[in-house]
Amino acid sequence: MSGVDDLSFDRLDADGAIAESAERAGVVSRATFLGGALGGSLALLAAGSGQAWAQGGPSERDVAILNYAIILEYLQASFYTEAQRMKALRGRAADAAEVVGAVERAHVEAFKDVLGKQAAKRPSFDFQGTTEDQNAFLKTAVAFEDLAVAAYKGQAPRIQGSSALAAALAIHSVEARHAAWMRYLFGVQPASRAFDEPRSRQQTLRVVNSTNFITSSPSTQGRRTPRYTG
Amino acid sequence: MSPMGVGRTLRASLVLPAGAGLLGFTALLLWPATDPAPAPPGGALPAPPASALDVRAPVRLERDPHLAMWAAVERRVTARAAPGRGKRVARLRTVTPEGTDNLALVRRRTRDRRGRVWVEARLPVLPNGTTGWLPRAALGGYRLVRTHLVVNRRSSTATLRRDGRRVFRAPVGVGLQRWPTPRGRFYIRNKLVRYRSRFYGPVAFGTSARSAKLTDWPDGAFVGVHGTDRPDLIPGRVSHGCIRMRNRDIVRLGRLMPVGTPVTIE
Repeated sequence: MSGVDDLSFDRLDADGAIAESAERAGVVSRATFLGGALGGSLALLAAGSGQAWAQGGPSERDVAILNYAIILEYLQASFYTEAQRMKALRGRAADAAEVVGAVERAHVEAFKDVLGKQAAKRPSFDFQGTTEDQNAFLKTAVAFEDLAVAAYKGQAPRIQGSSALAAALAIHSVEARHAAWMRYLFGVQPASRAFDEPRSRQQTLRVVNSTNFITSSPSTQGRRTPRYTG
Repeated sequence: MSPMGVGRTLRASLVLPAGAGLLGFTALLLWPATDPAPAPPGGALPAPPASALDVRAPVRLERDPHLAMWAAVERRVTARAAPGRGKRVARLRTVTPEGTDNLALVRRRTRDRRGRVWVEARLPVLPNGTTGWLPRAALGGYRLVRTHLVVNRRSSTATLRRDGRRVFRAPVGVGLQRWPTPRGRFYIRNKLVRYRSRFYGPVAFGTSARSAKLTDWPDGAFVGVHGTDRPDLIPGRVSHGCIRMRNRDIVRLGRLMPVGTPVTIE
């Protein structure tokens, strides 16, 4: 088993697992990205609390943190679901994608239930071939799970309500298990550190942004007068 | 080490701390009563708080025979007869004549010798029914639809199915005998609304089907699914190849049918 214990997205880009990301950097600009799907989601994060939380519910900050978490859960759930649909995985990686995908989808549904109308919408994703190759899938899965663990860890001390904190911790440990599982399958050390570092929201979103996995939706609706054959 | 050996070692390692703990506990009891007694270890801690989430059991993905997959063409690309260096079939643009993103309906995927992923897609070119292989890198993210539109020229009906179940049915006008609506498998490429044309009704869908007869028609002679200003002619063979519907039907279809939906014209 490799001694590598820090498989960040930077490393993935460096060794080519997301090689197409670099090619596409000019296709979806940072401005488009921030102004598009994730931008909309982030705007919702700042929207504040509504009627659903008015009486004794989570605070405005906790709603924002839960909405930040749902974006990461959308990302993971969509990634595993697409990997499964592509049928490019085999053996234990295919089994893991099936189990972890189901869990991530359950996380999404749970967040949607608790956030109701305040839940951020699912962004559009383009995983750029990483769901269609076993090796690229495992590298990306390791990076996703490590990122999620660090992101939950980064927000846990900021959560104000005990029930929201209990929810975050319940998911954090599951994500940590996923991280260990994916690391094991990829052949890297699952637990070589004594302490893990958290990631702030800005750091996390910067990493997600660098992958270009979140894209704007294709423009499929227009207003030009048709010139079909009639 | 044998299991019994392990057991002995384990017992020995437990006996010493337990003995030390007993001595410590006795010392605690004998401590002068004037000092406040420390809280007993493990006592009086509150129960863990309930989670804000009501987490359901994870549900595994089931095989879904009704799913179709499409992707936007993100750069000009040549479709080939085979993955890699196959014969050139067509050149695809990123934008349709209507100004929307161009789409390809994905049928299957494979890898070439260099490990690059290629996808076979239905193409919006003549002859109708043409498929070709595109490099995966030229396409955007995959999107899924669960709907399927079937147009029956003989009965002049259009039926939309979602997950295999019929959710919409309406009479339609199809092409006259000299400009027939082409048979085959196609897909919805775009949706046009809020334009100014009574002839096309309030909503028009563009398909990947093209008229093989009207070759000099502007913008490629694509077959549309749209409304009409002559509902009295429906159903029947009335059009230049397009699939016409009464306006109330096309408005309803506009709410039910997403872009990317496969279309079968039989």
